Amino acid sequence: MDLNVTSSQMLDTSNKRLKVEDLEIEILPLIYEIIRSVEKDNHHDNATKTRDSQDCSQKVLELQKRLDQARTEIQMLAGIDYSKEQQLSHLEALKTQLRLKQELLQKYRYMYPFDIQKQ
Amino acid sequence: MSSQISTKEKLLYIIDDMELISKEIIENAIAPKSSKLSGPEYAQLTDLLVAKDNELKDTLKLAAEQAQINKKLDVLKAEVERQDQDINHLQKQLKEAEQILSTAIYQANQKLQSIARANRRPVSSEELIKFAHRISASNAICAPLTWQQGDPRRPYPTDIEMRLGFLGRLSDPMNGHLLAQQNNMSDLHRPGHPGEIPASQQNQFAWHPSGEMHISVGQGTVPMDTRNHKQENDDVEAMSTDSSSSSSSDSQ
Repeated sequence: MDLNVTSSQMLDTSNKRLKVEDLEIEILPLIYEIIRSVEKDNHHDNATKTRDSQDCSQKVLELQKRLDQARTEIQMLAGIDYSKEQQLSHLEALKTQLRLKQELLQKYRYMYPFDIQKQ
Repeated sequence: MSSQISTKEKLLYIIDDMELISKEIIENAIAPKSSKLSGPEYAQLTDLLVAKDNELKDTLKLAAEQAQINKKLDVLKAEVERQDQDINHLQKQLKEAEQILSTAIYQANQKLQSIARANRRPVSSEELIKFAHRISASNAICAPLTWQQGDPRRPYPTDIEMRLGFLGRLSDPMNGHLLAQQNNMSDLHRPGHPGEIPASQQNQFAWHPSGEMHISVGQGTVPMDTRNHKQENDDVEAMSTDSSSSSSSDSQ
């Protein structure tokens, strides 16, 4: 149930954008803990019970916090505003655009409409 | 393509789903025995949770790949930006060149038109120089080069020159009338001369074949004083104020 997401990116990005490896998405262990503490049947004394219930509520809050944190971090990830196919087509379009612009520049920079030899 | 969901939205949906499922499970755990879910349903829920978790993991991998692609995209965008700037620069230069060329062509056209105009009505340079001499002979355009203060010459006809003219010599009838009579007799003996028209049939002023302008007075014509011919009868001193005789080129 280990959910550590690791990626091979070692480059640095700006502060606003996170890399995937910075995310902390370890939800399942938390849920497991909550269930375990709920099902812990402590009938021995009230103090343990109240402590246990306090623990439970605390863990639930922690789960909530973890989920919210995950949401905000996802918002800050870069490059996921489109689906993968959209992104790839965008990339292709940009490549074509670059190629066309370079050809245009090439054509007009080195064209010479006035041939001096023709008199 | 637009119906595809973005990876970000997918991730958020997965997280929401997991939250719901986990809430279900926890509620089920704390619920009293009577409202607990059955075993298989509980197992189903748990499996669903685990599946969602795996989906989350896969989607995060996808997000990592997309981040890589995004980097390439950024590099390309910078390249395209550079090309855009180059294109703009080139466009400005071409526009300037076009303007300069169009100005040059316009001016060249105008020159060609003036050349055509000049070729349509050619004027001999001799005639131009002759007219230039006549116009400037009266000194009205520019003072003579040797003019100093005290020089009696003026750009307008002075009183001396006026007295030497026709109006000034009206009171001198003997000399002028005799001359006119002599001229008339000699002219009448030349029949059918192309230039001679009977004075009564014409207006007062007429060009005489000798090149002088004549005005009819009574029965004859009297030559008028025009500046452009040599005046033999005048004083040399009087003539010295009139520079036209020295500069006129010919008398017809």
